[in-house]
Amino acid sequence: MTVWEIAGEALVLLGLVVLTIGVLGMLRMPDVYGQAHAASKGGVVGLVLLLAATLTLGDWAMTARAVLIGAVLLVTMPVASHVVLRAAAARGEPMADPDTVDERPPDRRAARRPS
Amino acid sequence: MTVDVLFTAAVVWLVVLMFVCGGLLIYGPRPGTRIVALDTLVLVLVALLVLYAAAEGRTFFLDAALMLSLLGFVATVAAARYYGDGGPFG
Repeated sequence: MTVWEIAGEALVLLGLVVLTIGVLGMLRMPDVYGQAHAASKGGVVGLVLLLAATLTLGDWAMTARAVLIGAVLLVTMPVASHVVLRAAAARGEPMADPDTVDERPPDRRAARRPS
Repeated sequence: MTVDVLFTAAVVWLVVLMFVCGGLLIYGPRPGTRIVALDTLVLVLVALLVLYAAAEGRTFFLDAALMLSLLGFVATVAAARYYGDGGPFG
């Protein structure tokens, strides 16, 4: 068992732990904003760790594709999370903290009731 | 042998995580939670494909993972636009 194999298994285990933390945060967080926070960060970091585990195989074709997937994820995941939370704020989904201040101007606040 | 045990356990665990995301997708109290759960479900499925690629040394699993991550992004953005603005371009 070489060093690379041990490193690959450790990276797979670490990625699974981080993915589990992300999904668990999605279950435990009280409002949508915290749920998207936990899911996007935990999901991206866990998946990048799993992609790093494929890099330890030393296959060039696989390395190129893994780097491409990692770059695509790092670009698209924050955008997707932001679009979802912008829609949730526009529809007036409540925040769990009752002391939250809505800093948007009055004409930009949620006009429609949450469905 | 140890690689096979780790691979099987990881696949089973990722399927459990997919069921958790699916339950949140069905029973999420509000549409925002459901869209986030759909996004995470696609992400866990991509992780499953990457795990298969790493365990079997096959490259084409990563092609499928790349396409699925791009489709998941488009699906999430479209669902969020429909929820927030009433249409994909509105």
